[in-house]
Amino acid sequence: MTDRRDFLKIAGVAGAGLVLGLRLDAKTRPGAAAAPEFAPNAFLAVRPDGTVRITVPKTEMGQGVRTALPLVVAEEMDLDWAKVEVINANPGPDFKSMQTGGSTSVSSTWGTLRKAGATAREMLKAAAAARWNVDLKSCRTEKGFVLGPGNQKLGYGALVEAAAKLPVPKDPSLKSPRDYRLLGKRTPRFDGPDIVTGKAIFGLDVRRPGQRFAAVLRSTVCTGRPMAWDAGKALEVPGVVDVVKVPTGIAVIATNTWAALKGRERLAADTTWELGSAQDFNSADLETFMREALTGPGEEARKQGDAEKALVAAAKVLEAEYSFPYQAHATVEPMNATVQIRPEGAEMWTGSQSPNKAQATAAAALGLKPEQVKVNVALIGGGFGRRLGTDFSTEAAQVAKAAGGGPIQVVWDREDDFRHDLHHPATLHRLRAGLDASGALTAWAHRIAGPSILHSWVGQKTPSQVLAEANGALDIPYAIPAIRVDYAEVAAPTPLGWWRGIEIVPNVFARECFFDEVAHAVGKDPLQLRLDLLGNQGLVKFGRDEADIRRLKKVLQVAAEKAGWGRKLPAGRGLGLACHAYDGRTYAAEVAEVSVEKGQLRIHKVTCAVDCGFVVNPAGLEAQVEGGIAFGLSALFTQITWEKGHTVQTGYQEFPLLRLGDMPEVETHVVQSAEAPSGIGEPPVPLAIPAVLNAVFAATGKRIRKVPVDLSAI
Amino acid sequence: MPSYQLTVNGRTRTVDAEADTPLLWILRDTLGLTGTKFGCGQGVCGSCTVHVDGKAQKSCQTSLKEAAGHSIVTIEGLSKDGSHPVQKAWITEDVAQCGYCQPGMIMSAAALLKRKAHPSDGDIDEAFADHVCRCGTYPRVRKAVKRAAGGVK
Repeated sequence: MTDRRDFLKIAGVAGAGLVLGLRLDAKTRPGAAAAPEFAPNAFLAVRPDGTVRITVPKTEMGQGVRTALPLVVAEEMDLDWAKVEVINANPGPDFKSMQTGGSTSVSSTWGTLRKAGATAREMLKAAAAARWNVDLKSCRTEKGFVLGPGNQKLGYGALVEAAAKLPVPKDPSLKSPRDYRLLGKRTPRFDGPDIVTGKAIFGLDVRRPGQRFAAVLRSTVCTGRPMAWDAGKALEVPGVVDVVKVPTGIAVIATNTWAALKGRERLAADTTWELGSAQDFNSADLETFMREALTGPGEEARKQGDAEKALVAAAKVLEAEYSFPYQAHATVEPMNATVQIRPEGAEMWTGSQSPNKAQATAAAALGLKPEQVKVNVALIGGGFGRRLGTDFSTEAAQVAKAAGGGPIQVVWDREDDFRHDLHHPATLHRLRAGLDASGALTAWAHRIAGPSILHSWVGQKTPSQVLAEANGALDIPYAIPAIRVDYAEVAAPTPLGWWRGIEIVPNVFARECFFDEVAHAVGKDPLQLRLDLLGNQGLVKFGRDEADIRRLKKVLQVAAEKAGWGRKLPAGRGLGLACHAYDGRTYAAEVAEVSVEKGQLRIHKVTCAVDCGFVVNPAGLEAQVEGGIAFGLSALFTQITWEKGHTVQTGYQEFPLLRLGDMPEVETHVVQSAEAPSGIGEPPVPLAIPAVLNAVFAATGKRIRKVPVDLSAI
Repeated sequence: MPSYQLTVNGRTRTVDAEADTPLLWILRDTLGLTGTKFGCGQGVCGSCTVHVDGKAQKSCQTSLKEAAGHSIVTIEGLSKDGSHPVQKAWITEDVAQCGYCQPGMIMSAAALLKRKAHPSDGDIDEAFADHVCRCGTYPRVRKAVKRAAGGVK
């Protein structure tokens, strides 16, 4: 694994080695006579009653994969959506790479799932044709039935045994999008009814017979480890049954969560710590080091022409520093995992974005082989990248092992979650732009300084690190003769992780706001300068990506038009915009309308235009755009700061996430595309901050270059 | 251990637990009603919202002793079959994303509508000021509350 994309890449969602044939599946029908199923591959099974179970190879965390991915299978199979049951895959031989992140769930499974559904459809059709003794080509499928050339009609359920005996076609024909009945139409979230009745089971809701609950006392310093402790007072708390040491801290085990938390509080007073490498780490020092790194040596991420030379030759040079803080994922469901160890192996229930890694790391911690650890993927109460980490699930395995096997649910509280997040790191940005005598942009230089997520994640410096940390900056889409984007790593001892929108959030914030500064400096409309410099470019290669600038230009035009760019606004109101080609795959532009009155920022509306290829479920897309914008806007006012190795913020009180009353109206426009689906979870996120801050400038003439935003200057 | 009686979703329950145990953990760990969620334990995210005598209350900030003798309704008891107008509006507006904060939101919405049949935008802002949805379902929450208000005239 050398970079995030390799890490996220689909390795083995079956394509070839499909499991063929009739399967006796007693597990789904406990106590009943085992019924035959038609399961031509690992993704689906048709039952004799006509219901179809679809197995989702990605983790649901609110992005809608338990709706979107089954829809792909159901479309190709021509299913009745009302007869679909959805289950989550378990990591194992059929599901070797379930990692869920990078806005890739649809794009990475699209081909495989279509083929899986088409395979089943063709086999069911062939079974019916054989039964009727008619030409296969004269049969068709509709809503769970095969229809023959006469008035023949057979439900899929009636064909289970016959279909299972047929050979699996190698290259089943895929439906034409013209014939889609489900895809491209609005389908509400599959889990909606369970969610609104409280029946949906998240990781923290797992209850096993005899289950105990554990709270782990961890150091307030992110690298701290326990030295000595006295469990006496913790054990006096009614309900506390055991206190055990694990590598990350000391676990208090109880018959209920409250007793575990209370016992842990008692234990805290009687524990001493080895604080580790982060004990002197603080945000002020980091900022000093990052600022030094803005002018020291850097690693090149993009070089086009000679930007330094062009800056020297420029008639005018603009320069600005942009700043983005550490951030927390702050999922509403805190980290948790439930583990039970049995003589033959272990079982885990957890909301993980990396189920295979959770399996492997738990197995290593327990001295087992991965296949001896069954991982059940629970619904996730918010992931945003946090649950790509397996620190919490591995720790739960260690607790279960130390405490005699479990089942034990390890529960983090809100403070644990803030202190021991895999935070998204801070960055400083130095941007310089060279203008010639006519005001044309001749040079662009963007230096990024900050800790490297990839370095922290893999535990060592990697060659592709610079491309990862400069993502969003190096792929500046504007045609500028000389461009230099580089990165200077600044060490930090805190564990780091990706956050929804990854490095692209701070990098695009700096890039799109500074571009706005250039537009205003040369007296050009920010939209017009963007359109001019997107120009007539077609496919452009950036680092490892290739973007189609025509698609970016189109979404920018649509967003601007729909938002009424250029219309007259009352004093104190402004429009701002930003655009980006996310990983060269999804094209998005946002226009924010804001007002600032008496130091209060009000974001009235965000208009987003997006081209992410074919849209599997427009309802899901709109939810992702709204959610992505909310996530981006929250970051206007949140930050994590460090003092002596611990986070100053320990709860939502100090981390002011967007609330309902702050949420602007969101208008989403899809630019239709015949391209294959790309992704939508992250692309709306990075545009929200620059669109708003550019609008703040338009409204007030004040340029804000630092997040979290300090409005007192306005 | 002391013993307390409370009514949960119409049923009288006797619970043996420490007086200071938050109602949240009684519901989740003792009574197995996991629809009420733990988000912060600090009374600022709203995930644990239930009805106590018909009013929205944060169960993480309500001790067992305080809850004793009162009538508690959780998301599981809001309706028998998901037919409460708020639940139906939530489905129609396709509000949920991850869904974790939603039971608390729904309980707050139901209490708001009981108090005020036709809430203004300001009333809605205020009723959800203590709720965090990290997925950003807010625009749909507002729509669903308005839809439910129409339905409960």
